[in-house]
This record gives sequence, structure tokens and C-alpha cells, in this order.
Amino acid sequence: MKREGYTGNLVTTEPPQEPLVRVENLTKLFPLNKSLFSEARSFVHAVDGISFTIQEGQNLALVGESGSGKTTTGKLLVRLLNPTSGKIEMILNGTQTDIASLRRGEMKKFRQNVQMIFQDPYESLNPRRTIFDTVAEPLTVQGIGNIAERELQVAKILTTVGLAPAETFMFRFPHELSGGQRQRVAIARALVVAPTFVVADEPTSMLDVSIRTGIMYLMQKLSDVLGVTYLYITHDLAVARYMSTRLAVMYRGKIVEIGETEEVLAHPLHPYTRALLSAVPVPDPTIKRSRANIKGSIAKPIDPEPRCRFIDRCPLAAEVCRSNDHPELVELAPGHQVACYRAGEMA
Amino acid sequence: MAELSTNQNDILLKVENLTMHYTTRAGEVSAVDNVSFELRRGESMGLVGESGCGKTSVATTLLRLLPENAVIKSGHIYLDGLDLVDLNEEKMRQVRWKKISMVFQAAMNALNPVYKVGDQIIEALENHNEVKTNQEARRRVEDLFRLVGLDPAMIDRYPHEYSGGMRQRAVIAMALACHPDVIVADEPTTALDVIVQDNLLREMIELQKQLNMSMIYISHDIAVIAEVSDRIGVMYAGRLVEWGASDQVFKRPLHPYTYGLMSAFPSIVGPKRELTTLPGEPPDLLNPPTGCRFHPRCPYATESCAREAPPLRDMGNGHFVACEHPMEVSLEL
Repeated sequence: MKREGYTGNLVTTEPPQEPLVRVENLTKLFPLNKSLFSEARSFVHAVDGISFTIQEGQNLALVGESGSGKTTTGKLLVRLLNPTSGKIEMILNGTQTDIASLRRGEMKKFRQNVQMIFQDPYESLNPRRTIFDTVAEPLTVQGIGNIAERELQVAKILTTVGLAPAETFMFRFPHELSGGQRQRVAIARALVVAPTFVVADEPTSMLDVSIRTGIMYLMQKLSDVLGVTYLYITHDLAVARYMSTRLAVMYRGKIVEIGETEEVLAHPLHPYTRALLSAVPVPDPTIKRSRANIKGSIAKPIDPEPRCRFIDRCPLAAEVCRSNDHPELVELAPGHQVACYRAGEMA
Repeated sequence: MAELSTNQNDILLKVENLTMHYTTRAGEVSAVDNVSFELRRGESMGLVGESGCGKTSVATTLLRLLPENAVIKSGHIYLDGLDLVDLNEEKMRQVRWKKISMVFQAAMNALNPVYKVGDQIIEALENHNEVKTNQEARRRVEDLFRLVGLDPAMIDRYPHEYSGGMRQRAVIAMALACHPDVIVADEPTTALDVIVQDNLLREMIELQKQLNMSMIYISHDIAVIAEVSDRIGVMYAGRLVEWGASDQVFKRPLHPYTYGLMSAFPSIVGPKRELTTLPGEPPDLLNPPTGCRFHPRCPYATESCAREAPPLRDMGNGHFVACEHPMEVSLEL
């Protein structure tokens, strides 16, 4: 059975040469006011030429405010959306594959390797189907095993995600489960086909604190045991800290900073990252933190001007930021890249 | 942190043994059970707990904004000496917004989409006979807009023309319109992005101090509660399980649930510590556990915890806990 092959991933100690995921200049534009007789004249630049890589086993957290393009990025990576331009390469069954050019027939194989976990477990599960039907569906679609084998497989994954004894959960319906249990079902459904890469879009943001930690630990455990690598999308920096090795900060369709999670949190270099970090409330009434020094809110990136996307809210904005296009990511410390003309002065 | 008043004369709101049930087809839901606390003039109190713990039910009971199937079983809500539980709807309407008002969680739903925002606030002012002429009403709304950081030019706009943060400010302006003594804010920043939340929190704290109002701030987020509250109440399954000065509750949590909540909460400051998990799930309030409602999930529960509901008792310095076996820990968060 396929699942057995995955323990093999744990044996390798040195990082593989090729990254599991390589994204280059990925762009997704959504047309506005398009009609039958006229072409769209303006576009929302939801994802605007971003590039990054994810090494196997190094979970990447994608953080940013609503409207920054993080969910669109996630959907592009699992091909729920097709990119406007740019490249997404992944290693599927040992071969580097261009995701954008996959055809219908190849998509099935792709879906066995790449899955997604959604934010709201109340919306993402079909209320009329039993837990077994929901979790077994990917196996059925992929044509894995016969009914008896699928049942075993489902029981095994339900136990792994903490829904034990599995028999008591299999033939229940989503409304009989709590929010935390539903999210476990959603995780089981994504992982039952033993994917190598999973996009998790805010999987814990609907859950209460006492339930959330359990789901966070479960996802980490599964990452270690099954060898899954995550792109973890969240607006919560504290959750990102616990769920990722590397962290990327998005703002209006651009990645403005990326690096090792602890390094970025300890030494943020982009003024937006700094503002974001200083705005996070601290669970200690004796700490008086310095407050975020920026105002206003994130504007929709509709046909953005060719200059820094953060310029309107930036406390450091200068002429160089106005007269040049949005800055490229530049490595200012080992593995720590920033897209800011003035970040060098602060490093 | 400023010294908290212990003067009994300063007490503005006193809630005593408040119990409220919802009657449903499946049975009685024990949403608020025997809750008692006090709120002093000019003080802010945070009410923290998870979904379904009864924190919003406490708020709607205080304002008597309850659905038809809700029954206040027992208890008193003394506001400035007046027991709100006894008031008829007509009398209550005079108290609501003038003495105690509320900021709702979903600002989009709290504003009527087909009326201009300014007109909705003017309506509130007129209903409470706060203004005599249209010009006066208009001036009051302009002042309120400036107070909450909104451009008075937005008065004649509709809610959909506002951003999320601006809508929340408008709802705050409405709550402040009749100069209430107490404002109850139910998760006012939860749907907002972190930078907008930060700006709004800071301004709410300033407003509360500047107007010398008392505030009850309800949130599931203990970090937000830590920033806005002088005192904290922790709710679990319809009961208040711990109550005290914020720094005390945070540094020396007495209830195992409070401790569990705090050590499950990730933070971006300080060393990356291990997060703990609470086993199990919050109970169904149709059939709450006997005795202490936390006992099925509590690592320290003994046999007596399942039998008797522990009362809220003072452990010194006005730090109350409802637990047979209070913890002795000090937390370095």
C-alpha cells in the first residue's frame, strides 16, 4: 500500500537538493467590470509576481491581513485557481512537475500528492454525508483499494487524527460533532491519500483556544509522522510561530519579507512586518508594548501604481520608494529576504 | 498599573447570583448560572471565555436584550442602586443606552444598511429626548464622530461605504450617544485585522478613561483582555470561575481552567514555550456536568468536585475563585 512508502521520508537526514515547491513570478489578476462586449479595463492584482521555495519538511507560514493575497496563493498552489502567469513547480513522485501545465488526466495524480484543509469545518463538510463517506471519497476518486481496504484505511486515519475509537465516528454526520472534531475530520480527509504537500488555510482560526492547541499539535505530529509539508496560511502571527520553520509576510499581493520564523519575529526588517508585530496584543497586563505606528487599512490592489505597495502607510517612505517600482526581495541576513529600499538602513 | 479602588461607595454595577436559562425544545439551557461580580465607576472589566461559555448571555441579560425564550431565573442587577431585573420594559427602555449601552460584535448587523449612519445615531438621540432640534442633533453626532475618530463628512454615508474598522467606530459612537455610565463591548474588534484592532483598542481605552465610563469588555482573546481590563472575570460553562485584578489573575491564576487557557495561548514575545492542551471539549449546557462544571476536564478533580458546585470565594486581595483545589502557581508569560 502507498502509505507505507512515506516512512521512508523520515530516514533522509540531509535536506534534498531540489525544493519540494518552487514558485516563480506567480501572478493572479482578477478582472473588474468585465462584460460581454468589453474587455476588463482594470484588474485586482491579488497575487503579484511572487517567488519562493519550500523545502521538504520545512513548513512555510504565509501571514498577512485580509485581502493580502494569502488565500489566493494557497488556491493557486493546489490549482483551485489557474495562475495568470508565472511558474509553480513541485516534486511529484520524485519528478519535478510544472503544475500550471497539468492536463485533466494528470490532475488526478496531482491531487493525490497535494491537498487542502479549509478554514471553516462547518462549511467544508457535506452535512448529508457520513464521516466515512467524506473521508473515503478521496480514496474512491483515486481508485485506491476495495471497499474493505478503504474502510481499514479510513479507520486508521481517523484514529491517527484522534477520533478514536474510529467505529464510533465513522457513521455519524457532521452535525453530531463539535467544531474541533469536525476539523479533525477535514484533516483526515486531506491526509487519507497520503499527500506530500498540504495547503492549510487558517485551519484553527474558527476554533476556541482550548481546542486550537490540540489541532496545532495534531498537525505538527502528522507532519513528522506522515512526512507532510504544509503551507500554513494564517493571520495570527503567534500561531504561525508555532506552526512553521519559515515565515513569509504578504502585503497587497506581494511577499514583503521571508525568512526563518524565529529570525523574522525577533528581527523584523520590513516596516510593515514591524507594524504587524507591534500590533499583536500581548497576554500580560504588566507589559506595555510600543504601539503600531501605522494607520489606515490595507487597500485593494486594483491596478497598483509601479511603486512600493506599502508606500501610503509607510513611516519610512522616501523619494526612492516613490520613483521606483515595488522593490525586489533582497537577502539582508542569511536566508532572510526583505523587499524594502530602506530596510538596509535598519538592518 | 493604577491602584484599584476598594471603596464600596464606588460600586456602580453589582450583579448578584444572576441565573438565566434559555427554554428550548430539547430542554433548559443553563446559559448563565449564579454569576456575581461588581463594577466600579471608571473601571474596566474583561470577561473572557470560549464560545458558548455564557459571556454574551451575561451582556444581553445586563441590558435585558433577551430573546423570548430566555428567562431570568433569579438574581439581581443593581445599576446605581436600581435593580434592572425588576424593571418593566418601559422603564428598562429609559435605562438602556442612557445608563448602560452596548457595542455589538458584528458591526455590519448592528447598523441598518438602508439608512445613513448619522440618521441612525440621531434616531437614538431623539428616542431618548436627548436633543430638541435637528441642528442640535446634527452637532451632537458630529461631536461623537470626532470623538471616535471618524470624519464628520461620513455622517451622510451609508454603512456599506464604511470599512470594517469605521463601522465598528460608528457602532461605538452610537453606544456613547446618550452618555452611558456603563458600556458593554461584546468582541468589538474580533472581526478586524490586527493593525485596525490595535488602533481601535487604544482609542477605546482612552475614551473610557477620558469619559470616566465603566466598561465591560467581552472577548475570547486573553491577550486583548489583558490590555484593556483593570479586572478580569473568567467564565466557563455559564459560571464565573475566577475574578480579580488583571495582573493577579494573569500572574497567579487560581482556577485550573484559567491556567489552562493561559498556557494554551501562543504569544509572539518571550521564549517559545511549550503550549499545553486542555483535554476534552466544553460541556453541553443542556446537560451540564454535576458539581464543578469543569471537573470532567480538570487534571486536579477529586471525587467531591463532581458532587458540589464550589462557590466563588475570596482568596485575598479581592481575588476570587470557584474551585475546591485552587492552584499555587506563578506564571511567567
